[in-house]
Amino acid sequence: MKKLRLLLTLVFVGLVPSSALAALDIVASSSSTGALVREVAGEHANLTILAPPDRNLHYLQARPSMIRALRGAELVVALGADLEVGWLPLAINQAANPSIQPGKPGYFEAAAQVNLLDVGGPADRALGDVHPTGNPHVNMDPVRMAEVATALGERLAMLDEGNASDYRARAQAFAQQVDKRVAAWRQRLANPPGVVSFHKDVIYLLDRFDIPNWGTLEPVPGVPPAASHIRSMIDELRGKTGVVLFTTYQPKQAPASIAEALGWRQVRLPLEPPIDADGDGYLEHMQRWVDALTAKG
Amino acid sequence: MLNKKLLSAAIAAALVVPATATSADSAEMAEVKRMIEQMKADYEQKIEALEQRLQAAEQKAETAADTAETAKQASTASAVTKGRSGLGALTSGTAFNPQISVILDGNYYQDDVDGEGTELLGMADGISHVHGGDHDQDHGHSHGGAEQGFNFRSAELAFSASVDNYFDAAALLAIDSEGSVELEEAWFQTRSLPNGFKVKAGKFLSDIGYMNNQHPHYWDFTDQNLAYLNLLGDHGLRDTGVQVTWLPDWDHYTLFGLEVFQGEQEKLGTLAEVGEHLEEEIADAGLATPDNLSLSGEEDGPRLYTAFVKYAPELGYDHALQLGAWGGWADQHQEIHGEPIAGWVPGDPDTPLHALEGDAWMWGLDAVYKYDGGGAYGEGDFKLQGEYIWQRKDLNLTYHQNAAIIGDERKFTEDGLYVQGLYGFAPRWEAGLRYDVVGLTNELKSAGSTLRDWDSSDRWTAAISWAPTEYSKLRFQYSKADITVDGESNDFDYFYLQYMMSLGSHGAHKF
Repeated sequence: MKKLRLLLTLVFVGLVPSSALAALDIVASSSSTGALVREVAGEHANLTILAPPDRNLHYLQARPSMIRALRGAELVVALGADLEVGWLPLAINQAANPSIQPGKPGYFEAAAQVNLLDVGGPADRALGDVHPTGNPHVNMDPVRMAEVATALGERLAMLDEGNASDYRARAQAFAQQVDKRVAAWRQRLANPPGVVSFHKDVIYLLDRFDIPNWGTLEPVPGVPPAASHIRSMIDELRGKTGVVLFTTYQPKQAPASIAEALGWRQVRLPLEPPIDADGDGYLEHMQRWVDALTAKG
Repeated sequence: MLNKKLLSAAIAAALVVPATATSADSAEMAEVKRMIEQMKADYEQKIEALEQRLQAAEQKAETAADTAETAKQASTASAVTKGRSGLGALTSGTAFNPQISVILDGNYYQDDVDGEGTELLGMADGISHVHGGDHDQDHGHSHGGAEQGFNFRSAELAFSASVDNYFDAAALLAIDSEGSVELEEAWFQTRSLPNGFKVKAGKFLSDIGYMNNQHPHYWDFTDQNLAYLNLLGDHGLRDTGVQVTWLPDWDHYTLFGLEVFQGEQEKLGTLAEVGEHLEEEIADAGLATPDNLSLSGEEDGPRLYTAFVKYAPELGYDHALQLGAWGGWADQHQEIHGEPIAGWVPGDPDTPLHALEGDAWMWGLDAVYKYDGGGAYGEGDFKLQGEYIWQRKDLNLTYHQNAAIIGDERKFTEDGLYVQGLYGFAPRWEAGLRYDVVGLTNELKSAGSTLRDWDSSDRWTAAISWAPTEYSKLRFQYSKADITVDGESNDFDYFYLQYMMSLGSHGAHKF
């Protein structure tokens, strides 16, 4: 595959392009970080994505194929803040690749580049699968993702100085795209409905557009909804207008029951963009979430 | 520059204006006034622009500071308290503690053989149990050993951290219900060798096979499979030594490993010694035996070597397969069997005292397939794994009560396998089924003729487990075993109700 791609590049360009030969081997943990890599690094990267968009990034295992991909990687791009804690550190450790360990330029964590929500709080698992370092689902905020793209551009510039200006320009172009879309979305979300989500995985989106957050179906993070919790939420929210948001790997029963009881819409969307998404693909994916919030009826 | 000139001109003008007002005519006054107004407007515009720039810069600095703060918080699990009185010393406090976890593992056990079930499982007829009593072996604490009723298997304490930029290290201790502590593992491993190499040293579980390096709380069933239990021992192959692994940068995952161990094993490369108890028995029987039954002294370590390879093809996001093969070799292996029997003559039915010495080797094959169903909390996930183990001991009699056969060859061969499946039939619920057997080949040969041939032992096991969260798990397991001991088949049933509680830092999701 790699050879074929190189050959095609040679045929089309007609001479040995230094960028194709020097392409960075980049591994992204998810399709959202993969989209940023595609957007900022473009043809300068050979990208491998470790997890498909329909999986819960918290519950994966360190599979041999991941370890293999990380073995030769020059940069790993994770969402971070312990989201991938169960498998990525182990896979990196087993990959026997010193250049991508945390603390090295070859390790990049999106969450470490931006302000996080829900930082601090007690580290007590009676409160569920909590992340005292902050909520890791930063991929749900396009503005933070633009900041991440800018930081990623700088990192790529450090790893591949020859194309530094290209990385910076691409990151900047993406940030402008985001600004444009966010301005439009802000107008559409002027009178947002309140949101009940399954897990605390959409708070960055709600926070960005000042959308009322009316709680989660999980009583505490990582614990499935119990009937009593759903009942008390229904009592609390009766008479209000809102929407129930949940994602592809979460069970359907609880969202359906609360949506029906309150007469609300329920929308099920993937948390991550399609596996082949670039910056545009990521923004199209966010567009679907905005549409879900603004749809009538 | 221009701004400054304008400014000073304006000030000068403002000072001059009152003094010259009387002498200047009204046209000039108007002109000067107009100029001042103009300058004022200009100046205000400029100041506004400057203010805006300053504000932007401040915002940027704020964001940068926030980002830096975030990065800092992300890099340490426990945030260092920011408030400082100025009286204390600046210290990193407990921030450098290793990752710590504690796993509590206990059960309720019942069988229909008066609580002897777990003992029988480890006594299956075969090349490790060709004798009346274990003179030479001290099994220590046993993970499988359960009594009727409540059992607390262990509290496992695990510590791990990076030592420095060159090494990672871990220590794992198991504390049983009586409070005795056992060092399960304590090792360090390199983290920055080039070309895919890693070196590990200390006391650790060998990476042979698929299950060998798994701690009991990681098993899909409460107890160890029969093949491991009878051919490798309760813990699997675990020893003090060095491991080198190499993960080449190939298109498919391929891992090569070599291990060199001291050779202090329960089953492979065990050493025997005539203890006080046996000495008394020998004296009581009135036997005149050579010193330590002519068994040679302990050879210098290392005495045990293993090699393994693991391979995984690329099967996409939903499927994963790993295949493995391994071999192990023990330089020195000794056993003492039988009982000192006064007046024993060839042809008597009981096994008299004898001692064996030689070497031993093993090989195994392992395969694991996993399907990631992508459902909520493991629903739809499927796992199928199996291993085959083969063991050979090439020994010679160093002593026998029948002096005529001393020096004769004794070739022991035994194998075993298990196959098990696990299916996530509902969110957080798993059902498992296992078949395990030991002794398919189970024989003692000498110079080509078969001296003994033992029956095999097998078992069927079904389990259901429920994991309320990632940190706790409850399991019900029912087994139906047929274990051959001293040539007699023992059919029995048993069940476990097991709990596993994981405290502390987040566990790793191993493949």
